[in-house]
Amino acid sequence: MTTEDIPRLSGEWMTPRRRFISALFGGRVDKIPAMTLSSVATLEGMEIADADFPEAHLDAEKMARLAATAHENLGLDTVMPVFHSQLEADALDADTWWGEKDNWPATKGHVLDDPDSFKIPPDYLERRSFKAVLGAIKLLRKRYPDVGIVGKVYGPWSVGFHLVGIENWLMGTITEPDKIRRYLEVLLPASMMSAHAQFEAGADAVMWADHANRELCSPETYRDFLLEMHQGVTEEMGGPSILHCCGETTDRIDYFAEAGWDCFHFESQVDPVKAKEIVRDRMSLFGNINNPTILFSGTYDDTYKACMEVLEAGIQGVAPEGSVPLGVKMEVLQALSDSARDYSNANRPDGRLVTFNPTK
Amino acid sequence: MAQLSDITNAVIRTEIEEFIDDPAEIERNVELFAKASAQMQEIAAALLEGDNDTVDQLTRIALDEGIEALEIMDDGLIAGMGIVGIKFRDGFIFVPEVLVCARAMKAGMAHIEPILAASGAEPAGTVIMGTVKGDLHDIGKNLCIMMLRGGGFIVIDLGVDTSPEEFLEAVAEHDAHVIGMSALLTTTMPNMAKTVEAFKDAGLREKVRFMVGGAPVTPEFAEDVGADGYGKDAMAAVELATKLAIEVRA
Repeated sequence: MTTEDIPRLSGEWMTPRRRFISALFGGRVDKIPAMTLSSVATLEGMEIADADFPEAHLDAEKMARLAATAHENLGLDTVMPVFHSQLEADALDADTWWGEKDNWPATKGHVLDDPDSFKIPPDYLERRSFKAVLGAIKLLRKRYPDVGIVGKVYGPWSVGFHLVGIENWLMGTITEPDKIRRYLEVLLPASMMSAHAQFEAGADAVMWADHANRELCSPETYRDFLLEMHQGVTEEMGGPSILHCCGETTDRIDYFAEAGWDCFHFESQVDPVKAKEIVRDRMSLFGNINNPTILFSGTYDDTYKACMEVLEAGIQGVAPEGSVPLGVKMEVLQALSDSARDYSNANRPDGRLVTFNPTK
Repeated sequence: MAQLSDITNAVIRTEIEEFIDDPAEIERNVELFAKASAQMQEIAAALLEGDNDTVDQLTRIALDEGIEALEIMDDGLIAGMGIVGIKFRDGFIFVPEVLVCARAMKAGMAHIEPILAASGAEPAGTVIMGTVKGDLHDIGKNLCIMMLRGGGFIVIDLGVDTSPEEFLEAVAEHDAHVIGMSALLTTTMPNMAKTVEAFKDAGLREKVRFMVGGAPVTPEFAEDVGADGYGKDAMAAVELATKLAIEVRA
């Protein structure tokens, strides 16, 4: 066999899983991945998978089937089975309302008023919310060895919102900062256990959500309460890490990069060009297609155009900004993978690898 | 024209000097505080420092001394909260600081509200407020309610997770014409549209005005869901409710 006889890699030759992981670390890709990092579960998807909310939150098989629609029906490079934000809080005895077919779960009452009374239950990882999520990740790993699987963890700041109440928590950062720090300290192991369990079940990366965005607090609050703790988290998480923080975060992205996250999943309030300028090569950026005006109220063409603008900014992957509203049409979501494919085809000069941000 | 030096309270003077840039806003606040008594300035200063105990105490003392409830509310509590609103809008402070100041305002309003309610003064209007179905976040809504009540509105608070049917029932029960809907989650924002639709289906759309708000809500989204206005923050909500109440009466 001569060199000439060896077939040349071209077009889309990476598996979605390999592509996702490579992009997560800012590496070489054959196509820029189009992903879900939160939830793309929709009412249409529930029909296709025969897996409705709220049952799909607590049934591993239904959860896996619904999560798989992201890859099977939307052509995305990842699947994400944790549709809700109740995983840790429910297993820590929060009062969870699991919602309805067309409504999301939520935490109804707050159960914690003293950090020193908090204990992680001995059967924490065996409780219903974990049983479903860990079971779904295992099923997805078995069924989709070549697709990226993203887990989701709520960090102690966001679990604190559920257990203590968001108003008490935010006011506490001013009136009782030591108490809030103590909460963070005692809640952190619960989030770390969740991350480790999801990696062990087969997740390729874990998205860690701690909502310390501009709509809720100052950048200094992130620096003073979370930065050092997040540095510890990224060191000890044991796998690729993606930070998610809702809303406007431009004024604290620099801190996120300092925390050592491999990637930041950002929302539409953040200008991707500016975000890229701030982080440079310190972490990857995935995002940030607007949910309400583009995905929910817009068309396929609106979404395709929005994706192209984000891709032009040179970020490493395109994804909805957060969990999409349940009424979003799958036809509209299809624009995510179509735009990533078309952009990559137009920016693969050697036919093998995509050149990021060729014009800038 | 009043000067900054006409304001006796040092905290208020510093707040205006350090945090207000717009000349028209400086002038308005200087005028407002210069004509307010030292006692009212002290209440506003305590509110700006988030000192709820002091606001509570000073409000009680002022009422005991025979000062009108309306004067305490306008020249002390609302005037102080006005500066808080400017600082929040301009990014000098964030939600936690606003919450601490709002707690102080609430401490004062607890004494004022029953007196105003018993006085039989004509309200600016009745507003039905609720966080939409599926959403349990209420910080922004609660701040709006406090400012609306301060602005002379009767507010019916439907709380969180409010269905379109609950909004419909409340409008009928309270003969209200302005509805405020709040959402924090992009996943629940579409429920604003469902509420507007429910009013259309019930043939009541023309009888009410909808205002919407919440961190991810934008003026464009407000238009998309068929609302009549969008309020960026609690101060804007009061202005908007006033405008909509006049409009719907016309």
